[in-house]
Amino acid sequence: MDHMDPLRRETALRDGRNVDPAVGRLAGEGSTQRASPRRAAAALARVERGAAEREARAEEAEGPSYYGLPVLKEPVWRWMIPAYFYTGGLAGACGVLGAAAQLAGGRGTGPLVRRCRMIATGGALASAALLVADLGRPARFLAMMRVFRPTSPMNMGTWVLASFGALSGAAALPALLPVPRALRRTGDAAGIAAGAVGLPLVGYTGVLLANTAVPVWQETRNTLPMLFAFSGAVSAGAALDLWPPAGPGAEMARRFALVAKGGELALSWALHREAAHERVERPLRRGAPGALLRGARVLLGASAVADLVRRTSPALRIASGVLGTLGTLALRFGVVAAGHASARDPHATFALQQAGRGAADLARKGEEPGRMPAPSGIDATGEESVEHGAIP
Amino acid sequence: MERMGFFTDTTLCIGCKACEVACKQWNQLPDDGFRFTGMSYDNTGMLGASTWRHVSFVERPAELPGQGSPRDGVEGGPRAFGELFPAGQPGPTSLLGHDIQPTRIETPVALGPTERALSRFSWLMLSDVCKHCERAGCLEACPTGAIVRTEFGSVYVQPDVCNGCGYCVSACPFGVVDRREEDGRAWKCTLCYDRLKGGMVPACAKACPTASIQFGELDDLRARARRRVEQLHARGVGEAFLYGEDAASQPGTEGLHAFFLLCDRPEVYNLPPDPVVPTAKIVRSWRSMAAGVVSLAALAMGAVFSARRA
Repeated sequence: MDHMDPLRRETALRDGRNVDPAVGRLAGEGSTQRASPRRAAAALARVERGAAEREARAEEAEGPSYYGLPVLKEPVWRWMIPAYFYTGGLAGACGVLGAAAQLAGGRGTGPLVRRCRMIATGGALASAALLVADLGRPARFLAMMRVFRPTSPMNMGTWVLASFGALSGAAALPALLPVPRALRRTGDAAGIAAGAVGLPLVGYTGVLLANTAVPVWQETRNTLPMLFAFSGAVSAGAALDLWPPAGPGAEMARRFALVAKGGELALSWALHREAAHERVERPLRRGAPGALLRGARVLLGASAVADLVRRTSPALRIASGVLGTLGTLALRFGVVAAGHASARDPHATFALQQAGRGAADLARKGEEPGRMPAPSGIDATGEESVEHGAIP
Repeated sequence: MERMGFFTDTTLCIGCKACEVACKQWNQLPDDGFRFTGMSYDNTGMLGASTWRHVSFVERPAELPGQGSPRDGVEGGPRAFGELFPAGQPGPTSLLGHDIQPTRIETPVALGPTERALSRFSWLMLSDVCKHCERAGCLEACPTGAIVRTEFGSVYVQPDVCNGCGYCVSACPFGVVDRREEDGRAWKCTLCYDRLKGGMVPACAKACPTASIQFGELDDLRARARRRVEQLHARGVGEAFLYGEDAASQPGTEGLHAFFLLCDRPEVYNLPPDPVVPTAKIVRSWRSMAAGVVSLAALAMGAVFSARRA
C-alpha cells in the first residue's frame, strides 16, 4: 500500500473500500462485509498458488483454459470437516452396532451395548462441536434448523445428527447416572432408535460430498456413500479395540471391523473405477491426496492382518485399533484433499463435461434431471418467498 | 413480477472494467488487494465474495472477423466482412449496427511487419457475473434457506441468515459464490436487488458504455440475443453463439438468467461447457447410501449373532 497517495492510503486503511463515511453512507449490499488489510490479498494469493501448479503441468498437451485458473471455487472447509466425517461415522456406526447387540446379542453383551452408547454420544457431541467450529458464523448454527430441505444433504445431515445425538444421549444416560427403571426402559428404546438414525448418519456424508460440482466427488457419487459407511464401521471397531468391552462384545466388534475393513479396502479401489476419467481420477493417485489414500490402504490392510492373527493378544488388539483409526482418518482426509485438488484443476471439469458426463449424462440415460422427493407441504427445490427478512 | 436478467454480448465488450468498478461502488464492496496477476490485463482473476463482476481478457492467436484496426489496411482485420465490404471500401468498424456511421477509408495501406504480426490475433473479453441459474446449485444446497429466489427470478443470498457453512461454494458449477474469510459469510452478485426494488437498472449494466451488458426482461433479452446472433452470422462472425440462454441449450441448469454471447468455446472464457446442478444427479447417490447402510446393518447383526454366547 506504500505506492498509494496519502489520501487514498488513509481511506484504505480505515476500511478497505475507499468510502469516506463523511461523504458517503455505508448502506450498500456489501457494506457489511468485514475488511481486513491483513487478508486483503487472499483471493490473489490463491491465483499465485495456482501458478505453481500450472507450471508443473505446463508441458502437457491440454485443451483450452483461462490461463489455467480454476473454474470452480475450492471448498472452504477446514480440517474440521474431514475430522467430523470421522467422528460422525464413528458415532453412527457405534449406534448401529449397539442396537444390533441389543437386539441379537444374547447374554453378556451389556458392556458392549453400554460402551457403544457412550462412544455414540461422545462422537455426536464432538461432531456438533467440529461442525459449529467450521462455520463461518458459528453463532448461527441453529439457522440450519430453520428449514427442512431434502435437496440439501447438509440440511438433512443436521437433522439426522441432532436426532441421533438426542437419542444416543438418552440411551447412554442409564449407564452414566443411577436412574429409575422406567427411564432405563426408555433408554433401551432410544438405543434401538439411535441405531436406526445412525444408519443415515454413517452414510450421508458421502452424499454430501457427491452433491457438489467438484469433479472427483461428483463422479464417485455412488461409491462415496458406501465407502463412508464402511469407513464408519471401521472407526467404530477400532475404537472398541482401543477401549474393549468385557464379555463377548470384543469379539463381536472384531468381526464387525474385520469385514468392514475388507469392504472399505475394496470400495477405495472402486472409487478409482467409478471416477473412470483419467483427469478426474488423477487427484486420487497423485500428490498428497494420493499418498493419503495409499497410506490408508496400507494401514487398513495391516490392521486387518492384526485382526486376523490376534486371538487374545492385547498388544495386537491395540495395534489393530491404532492402525484402523489412522487408516480410516487417512481415508477421510485423502478423499477431501482429492476434492480440493480436483476443484483447482479446470481441466478436470472441462474434460469431464466434454466427455459427455455433465448434463449430457442425464439426457443420454433418458431421465429428467432428478428432483428430490419430498413430503407434501415441503418444497423440495427449496425455493422460498423473500418474506423472511430478505429485503435489505 | 417479470423475470429479469442479463444478456452479456462479448463481441461488444471493450474490457474497460466499468462494470467491475460500478459494482464495487454501488454495493460498497471492499477491495481484494492490489496485485498484478502477471498473466494478462486481467488483475481481478475471478469472481469472488467481494468481486461480483469480473472482466476476463483472452488473447488469442486467431482472427476474429470484425476485430482489427484501419491500420491493418483492411477494414476490421484482413478477413473481416470480405464478402460484404471488399478491401478499401467503406465498412463498419464496429459490430454495433448500421445506425453507427462507418469509418471511411479511402486508401488501402500495405501491411507492415507489426500489422502482419497482429493480423492473426484477436481479443475476447467477457464480463463474467453470477448466472442466476433457473435451477441453482447454490440455492438447492443451502442448508439454512439463506439463499432464495427473488420476485425478479434472481438468486439472492440473505446475509442476515447465512451461517457460513460454505456448501454453496462447492455446489456452484460455475465457481461464483465464495465465502469471505473476514466475516465468514457467502457472497455473490445480487442482480442489484436493492436497485431493482427501486425500479433501477443494475449498476454494471448502467455503467457499460458499449451495451455489452444488457439488462431486461428475460424473454425480451432472449429474442434480442437471437437477433444479434443472426446479425453477426450475416456479417461473417460465424463463431457467435449463445451460452445458456434457455433450458434447451443448457439442460443442466435449465437455462441461465444471465447468459452470454460467445465467439469461442466456453472453456476459453473459463465457463464450463456442460454444467450441471449437482442435485440433478443426487437421487442415485442417496439410493447407493441406502444400499450401503443396509448392508452395514446386516453386517452388524451378523457380527453380533455369529459371536453370541448361547
